[in-house]
Parts: sequence; C-alpha cells; structure tokens
Amino acid sequence: MESLGDTLWDVVISGTGLQQSLLALALSRSGKKILHIDPNEFYGGSEAAFSLQDAKSWVTHASNGSCGLVKSASIALPEDATGLSPSRAYSLALAPQLIHARSAILSQLVSSRAYRQVEFLAVGSFFIFSPSRDSAEASGLTRIPSTREEVFSTTAISAKEKRLLMKFLKFVLDHESSPHLETWQEHADSPLVDFLQKEFKMGGELQTYIITLTLSLDGQINTRDGLAVIRRHLSSMGVYGPGFAAIYPKWGGLSEIAQVSCRAGAVGGAVYMLGTGIETMEIAEDEVELHLTSGDNIKTRMLVRADDSPSGQTGVGRLVAVVGSPLTSLFEATVEGAPRPAVALIAFPAGSLSTAAGEESAYPVYLSVHSSETGECPVGQSVLYLTTLATGNVTGILERALDAFIHATSDSQAPQVLYRLQYEQLPGADTARAEGPIFTFPAPSPSLSFDDSVLEPVQEAWKKVMGEAAAEAEYMVFEDREGAMDDDVYE
Amino acid sequence: MADSSAPKPSSSVKLVLLGEAAVGKSSLVLRFVNNDFQENKEPTIGAAFLTQKCNLPTRTIKFEIWDTAGQERFASLAPMYYRNAQAALVVYDLTKPTSLIKAKHWVAELQRQASPGIVIALVGNKLDLTEDGTGSGGDAEDAGGEDSGDARKISTEEAKTYAEEEGLLFFETSAKTGFNVTEVFTAIANAIPETSLKTARGPGASHAAARTEEQRVNLNGPRDPNAKEGCAC
Ligand SMILES: Nc1nc2c(ncn2[C@@H]2O[C@H](COP(=O)(O)OP(=O)(O)O)[C@@H](O)[C@H]2O)c(=O)[nH]1
Ligand SMILES: [Mg+2]
Repeated sequence: MESLGDTLWDVVISGTGLQQSLLALALSRSGKKILHIDPNEFYGGSEAAFSLQDAKSWVTHASNGSCGLVKSASIALPEDATGLSPSRAYSLALAPQLIHARSAILSQLVSSRAYRQVEFLAVGSFFIFSPSRDSAEASGLTRIPSTREEVFSTTAISAKEKRLLMKFLKFVLDHESSPHLETWQEHADSPLVDFLQKEFKMGGELQTYIITLTLSLDGQINTRDGLAVIRRHLSSMGVYGPGFAAIYPKWGGLSEIAQVSCRAGAVGGAVYMLGTGIETMEIAEDEVELHLTSGDNIKTRMLVRADDSPSGQTGVGRLVAVVGSPLTSLFEATVEGAPRPAVALIAFPAGSLSTAAGEESAYPVYLSVHSSETGECPVGQSVLYLTTLATGNVTGILERALDAFIHATSDSQAPQVLYRLQYEQLPGADTARAEGPIFTFPAPSPSLSFDDSVLEPVQEAWKKVMGEAAAEAEYMVFEDREGAMDDDVYE
Repeated sequence: MADSSAPKPSSSVKLVLLGEAAVGKSSLVLRFVNNDFQENKEPTIGAAFLTQKCNLPTRTIKFEIWDTAGQERFASLAPMYYRNAQAALVVYDLTKPTSLIKAKHWVAELQRQASPGIVIALVGNKLDLTEDGTGSGGDAEDAGGEDSGDARKISTEEAKTYAEEEGLLFFETSAKTGFNVTEVFTAIANAIPETSLKTARGPGASHAAARTEEQRVNLNGPRDPNAKEGCAC
C-alpha cells in the first residue's frame, strides 16, 4: 500500500466532531482525496458518546488539560449502588441535543441519504418543575401545553390563562407578517419576558412556560430570537407524526450523526486514522505540510480543523446521571397514534432551586431525561442530562436539581443514582475562520436543541475545498448508493 | 397494525464484516444480497452499506450490512462499524493461514470493544478451492485437508475448535458457488436473541419486536401505516 506521504491530499480534516464529520459527508461523492484524522481514539470529538470505560479515560484526559474546552470533569459512583451494568451497555452523550423537525440538518440528512443509517426517536413532553411552597404541598412536574389541543385540555392553568396562551401561540405562528411584525419589532432586542408582560399581560407562570419552550440557557432570550425559536417549535409539531416537535438520534444523539457522516466519508474513499493528531505544520501559499503524531509527513491543499481555545466567557455546567428506574410516567405518548417518546425535558426555572448553603439558582436548569430506548443505558434505567450556566456553585445547583427531580417523580421509593459524570463545557470562538489554506470551525454550541447555524461553516468549508466545482444546488444532495435501496415492501 | 393480514414483526440488525483483505467479504455480501459473484472483483474502497431481508418463520430480520475494506493498515475504521452492531461476520480465506490469525485478532477486538452480546460468526471462505468443497459433493468427509492438489491450508477441525472455544458460530462457505452463504446469515438471524431486537420492553408490551419499529420516527415522508412496518428509516 502506498504511504500517506506519497499523496497530495485535497483536504485533511482534523477531528471527527459534528462539523468535521458533516464536511466528510458533504465531500463523500466529490472524488477529492481526503485524509480524516482525530487525535482521540474515539469518533465524535465534542459530540462523542461514551461507554463508562470511555468516559473514564476521557475524564482522565480532560483533567490533564488535554481537552481544550472541557474542565473540572469528574465521575462519582455511589458506594452503595449496585445494578450498574457493564461499561459497554452505556452510551453517554456529550451532545444530547434534540433536533426540531424543521431543522435544516434533517433535510440535509435526507437529501444526502445518510438518514437511512440513523434511527430517530420522538422527543416527548416538556415539563416544568415547581418547588413546594410549604411543607403541605409536594413539589411536582407540570406538563407544558404547547399545542392547541393541549392548551384546551390542560388543567394546569385557568381559563383566562388559556385564552392568553392561545392568543400568543397564534401570534407566534404569524409573527413575521403585519400587523404582528409591528407589535414586536420595537421590542426585538429586549428580553422576551418583558415583551410577554407588556404586550400580552402575561404573569410569571405563563412566562415560564414560554421561556422553557425556547430552552434559553440564561432565560434572557431576546424577543426576536425567542419568537423565532417558539415558531420553530410550533411548526415542527406533527411534521414527522402526531404529538411531537423534535426528534433524537438513537445511540447518543449528535455522536451518531457524526459517525454516520464519517462512514459515508469512508464509503466515498476517505482514509480514516484515529489516535493521530497534528504535531507541527508549515504553511505555504496554497499548501500545508503536516507532521502527524504518527510520524507521517504529509502535504495537503487544505486543512480543516476546529477551534479549541477557550474564549473566557461563561461556560455550561453539565451533570450526566444514570438512575436505576425506567421513569415510565415521563415517556407516555400524549396523542393517539404518536410514537412513544424516548426523551422528556424538564425545566427548573431560575430561583426554583437552592443549595444547602442557601444559594438560589440564578438561571434555569434544564434536564433531558432519556429512556433506555435511546440505547444509552440498559432497560430498566434512564440517563439524565442536566445543564445550566456555569456560575456560582454550579455543582451544588445541579446536584440539587437532580435530587429535586428524583423526589418529584417518585411517589414511592426514590430511584437510585447509579453513576454521575460532571464537567464544564467552555465556550470558544463563535465564528469560523478561513486563513489561506486553513479553515477553522467554531467551538461547539452549548444550546440544548440543535442550532442550524452550525451548518453554515460546514458549507463554507465545502465551498473552499470544492473551489470552482462547487455547485450550491448539489450540496448534500446524493443518490442512494447501490444496494442501499429500500427494497423491502411487504408482500 | 392497521393491516388485517398482520405482518410478521420486523427488526433491523446491524451486521459488520471484518477480515483480511481479499478473503471474500464483499463477495459474500454480493452473493447474499444479489446472488451474484464476480471473478476479479474490484476491491471495495472504504466501506459499503447494503441491506437485505431474511425471513424467519416468526419474524423478519432486515440486515444492515457494513462491508469494510481497503484500510486494514489503519484499523481506525472498524470501531465505527462495529459500534452498536448486533452481529459480526469475521471472514478468513481457508487457503491462507495468515488470514485466520487476522480473524482471531478481530474476534478478540470485538469481544473487547463491541456491544456485549454481539453475535459473531467465523467464516472460512473459498471452500470451492478445496477438494471437499468442489462442485456437488459436500460429503467427502475423508478429504481431510492435507491432500495434495488441495489448496486448503486451514483444517475444518482447527477453525471449528477455535470457534467453539470462543462461542462463535462457524461455517465454511464459497461465495463463488454460493455454498453455505445464506445459511450463515440465517444462523445469525436465529442467534440474535429476541431481547436485543426490541429495545421496548415496557410492562405489557406484548408485540415488543414490532414496537421497536413503531417507535422509530420515519423521516421519509408522511407516516403511512404500511410503509412504516417495512421501512427502517
Ligand atoms: N475461488 C473463490 N474466490 C473467491 C471467493 N470469494 C471471493 N473470491 C475472490 O477473491 C478475491 C477477493 O474478494 P473480495 O470479495 O473482494 O474480498 P474482500 O477484500 O474480503 O472484500 C476476488 O477476486 C474474488 O473473486 C470464493 O468463495 N471462491
Ligand atoms: Mg471488499
């Protein structure tokens, strides 16, 4: 076999995170010579999914400071916990983002035919946690009504609030045309909560419902973005079946999409090397010479990589916990004929939690609960992904949220926490950079639902690699490969 | 479920092929999927993805087959293929001793890294090049394997003993004549435990296997109850 150094590569892609992998997919029919490397021994980069063993080595790695955008990673196993299954029965996702049905990534996966290798599951209800106000009242979870039918049938809010909510949902669906446009435009850059208060006279509880639908990490999303996100939520409802607006890729979320994309790259002839990073490089005008950690020296016309230096802004605290209960009541289909959801979302509004030391949660905490259907844990268990802005005692707040959730869901015995993984995800550059033959993707987005802006730099990089040959209309549009056709119509 | 002639429960099984270059991995898939054979096949670049159904008496298994290739030098591709795979076909060429060593290496890696409970079949291919494998008769027990004029270099006994020790299914095949090829896939389909086909096992989930499909979200157009059963995507 010829050696790596004998080839002049059209592009070397460094890292197998989502953006790099989508680029590999986009280039998979281009005929370009592609070398795709990753310094890690696993696929997926910041969007990877881990067995318990993988998670352990990742934590060790992260504490050496060798994962640029991760800090304070640790694992805790309760001493008395039994019932944790073998390592490979788990697939814990670093990027458990839900994907709205109207997201452009889904159209790209369909047009590129890569969707055939991904299993998607429905994301079910959004709930709000309400703390007990006095000892007589239990804390609990309230389902957020987000469709007309749900608003009608809910018993959680008064008739007056129903009318308000309905009016608002109608407004959102039509908010980009007159006269609605004029109503919100003057508030475009101020917080959505203020707009809800001023224009809709909405009280705290309804405001919380609506902010939760936006999944805003600081709860301060502005009116322009907030209305757009809620509109996306509403218009995504029912697209792929009744009763759900978002979906989730089985086996670890975006990790699975990254891997399917790399496989498409490999089918197209790209060469893959894990455990191989770039040691040094020399940049000439239209060529880069790379010295790889494998000892190979190679030449490429372009290098595409991802940014991994922290920007110094507030990061996101994450807690991943495995619990020994299927939490069945969270995963009920609410509409006739709907697929049973595998993911439920719970919001702990700002101020709803406080640590033992009396510190209140300054920002919302979001909890994404995954059933074993996601393939992320064995049957009988669930995986909980908690996220909040990393300010103050973030560890304490996340622990409190976990504890509060566990007690709010169980009427009898509280499910046992079998495993905990904690870390902080640091923000990095938020825009892509093109410098001569080097293209650098921004740092991964901390958002809880997939953000389509992630796709733009991928297409930009693709355009650079393709040069003259780039035909936008053909971006990510492929025929099925031979044999992959769906020949199975039931006789 | 909408149909009166209720279709059999159907599940997808991800299967990966591993083995040294030129042992006949792609040829086995081609035989299984298209019932075809090409004498001097172009080597697969990277990897290919194919699907084929296998009808069992009580259920239908749709194999999603990942054929790896060309990059044995950079073992990096394999983890991506055997991740979440429920079955693996580890192939060697029974006229080539080094290929069994490589196969054992793959078996060890699968046992170490793949999903717990993965069904592994060890397959000795190119049986047609041996005395006992030629043409009609598969019954020449006494061919033994050491006869002159026989290209066989790995005896059935040796590979079979190894397979038994490791708990693998074992077959000798010829992609060229088609001998034993369907049998390998059927045996794998039968060996997949029913429990690993249905991730859905809520209490009272009586048609759990069919439920697996029911929970999938189909991105390909409107949810048609007939298409839903057949289409895995
Ligand atoms: N005689 C014989 N040749 C085979 C058989 N299977 C594959 N071959 C030949 O072996 C070569 C390599 O086959 P291929 O399927 O590409 O191997 P792969 O690299 O493992 O995918 C090709 O020339 C095939 O025609 C077989 O069962 N008998
Ligand atoms: Mg091949």
